[in-house]
Parts: sequence; C-alpha cells; structure tokens
Amino acid sequence: MIQPQTHLNVADNSRARELMCIRVIGASNRRYAHIGDVIVAVIKEAVPNTPLERSEVITAVIISTRKELKRDNGMIIRYDDNAAVVIDQEGNPKGTQIFGAIARELRQLNFTKIVSLAPEVL
Amino acid sequence: MRLEKCWFCSSTVYPGHGIQFVRNDAKIFHFCRSKCHKNFKMKRNPRKVKWTKAYRRLHGKDMTQDSTFEFERKRNRPERYDRNLAENTLKAIKKIDKIRSDRASDHIKNRLKTGKVQRQKEARKQLELGIHLVKAPLALAQDSSLCLPKIKVNVSQAQTEENQPMEE
Repeated sequence: MIQPQTHLNVADNSRARELMCIRVIGASNRRYAHIGDVIVAVIKEAVPNTPLERSEVITAVIISTRKELKRDNGMIIRYDDNAAVVIDQEGNPKGTQIFGAIARELRQLNFTKIVSLAPEVL
Repeated sequence: MRLEKCWFCSSTVYPGHGIQFVRNDAKIFHFCRSKCHKNFKMKRNPRKVKWTKAYRRLHGKDMTQDSTFEFERKRNRPERYDRNLAENTLKAIKKIDKIRSDRASDHIKNRLKTGKVQRQKEARKQLELGIHLVKAPLALAQDSSLCLPKIKVNVSQAQTEENQPMEE
C-alpha cells in the first residue's frame, strides 16, 4: 500500500538509494499502489557522482511491500520492506542487477526484463 | 503445489493456509497460522517455546532419529508422471505414516514408563488424604472397603503406665 510521501528502498543497482512516491499511476484518484504498480517518485538519496541525482523525478515499479500480497491460490506473501526498481517509460529497468526475491506477478504485468534479472522468483 | 513446514512449530502448511514472510536476505519463512507468525514477530526462539516441535525434539520429548524420516526429504526435481509410481507412492505414504506414528507413540510411552511408580505412589497418598471427598467418613467407618488397608503397628505395653495417676 504505497501512497504519495511513502519512502521506498531501491532494489537495483541504478545508483539511487531511496525514493519517495509522488503519484500512483493508473487512475486519477488512485490511492494505493501494490506490487507490480508503476509509481512516479523523486529520488531522496542517491549514490554521489552518478547520472541519477537527488530530487530527480523518475518512474519506478514496486517490487515488494510490507502489506501482504494475496494470490488466487490462497498464498499470502509479505516482504520485509517497501522497495521499487527504477524503470524508464517502456518498463525496462535502468539498472543491470536486481536484489531480492521477486513476486511472480511481475511477469504477468510484462516486466519480463526485471523478472529475468531477479535472483529468485517467488 | 507443495506442502511446506511451518518455520515456528514445524507443522505442515497446506495450500491456502498461513503466511509466507520474505526477509530482505531473500530467506522465506512459512507460517501455518497467525499464532506462529506473531510469535516470530515477537522474536521468540522456537527452541525455547514449549509447544513447538523444535523444543520437543531438542529436549528429547519426541523421536528425533528414525529411518522413516528419510522418506520425507525435500525433493526439488519434479518427477515425470507415472501412474504406477504415483499409486505406489500413495500406498507407501500411508504405510510409512502409520509406522512413524506408532514408533513416535512408543517413544513417548517408554519415556513416561519411568515415572509410573512415582505416579502410583503419589496417587496412593492422594487417595489416603482425600478419602473424605470420595466417601463420607461416617459411611467409611461402617464399610471400610474403600480404604487402603492400614498397616498395623504393635504398640509396646510400657506406654500404658504413663496414664496412671501419680502416687502421692
């Protein structure tokens, strides 16, 4: 349940460290974003001397949330933190490595590149 | 579909039950119900919580080493479906389960055997003290079939001389 002002960790090596959600993409008054939703975020903390800078507005896709993800087969998955992966307009990740286990839902939402880079798919 | 083991209490988690928690180092914890999940969040060590299988195995309450446990290893390679194999596996599961549970209950029975004499002694003592709860004292005096047989001790004759009045 990510909403504007939520701070998220960055789960890839795209040189950003922490993002703050500004907007949930989807509908005009959409309140919350879950795993697999795209958000517009501002970089709050970045690795110094890299192309991505602090207070730069970027899009990201949410990889993990502390709020449980419920599946149709009754499986409930909860992560330890809220994390996102920085993407560009097409949905391709900006980084080259993904950290952490990724939920299978991202494959259905056409984030295949992210799923293929992930070390483990749940 | 896979039957997991609850990380806290070691019971099987069937599909549709429980929660999976993914830690930041990508270690997955399965929980069978919110009781185990909440205990985990409280950072309790299952080896110290009395009702978990981990505690029971650690303290020798339950059977730890047995050949029947070898059958229940985690297998990551999916087997090609073979009807005969599936049929035989189902039969074997049933039989192995029965053998394992019989051996486990034998283990517990043997463990409790040593305390039997002590428990009987305590029960005997409790009956003696609390016989008035079982049968009214008056009824007991008339029909002493409920009492435990009292041990008769012969009192020596020397004691009766104390009751005589002092000679002036």
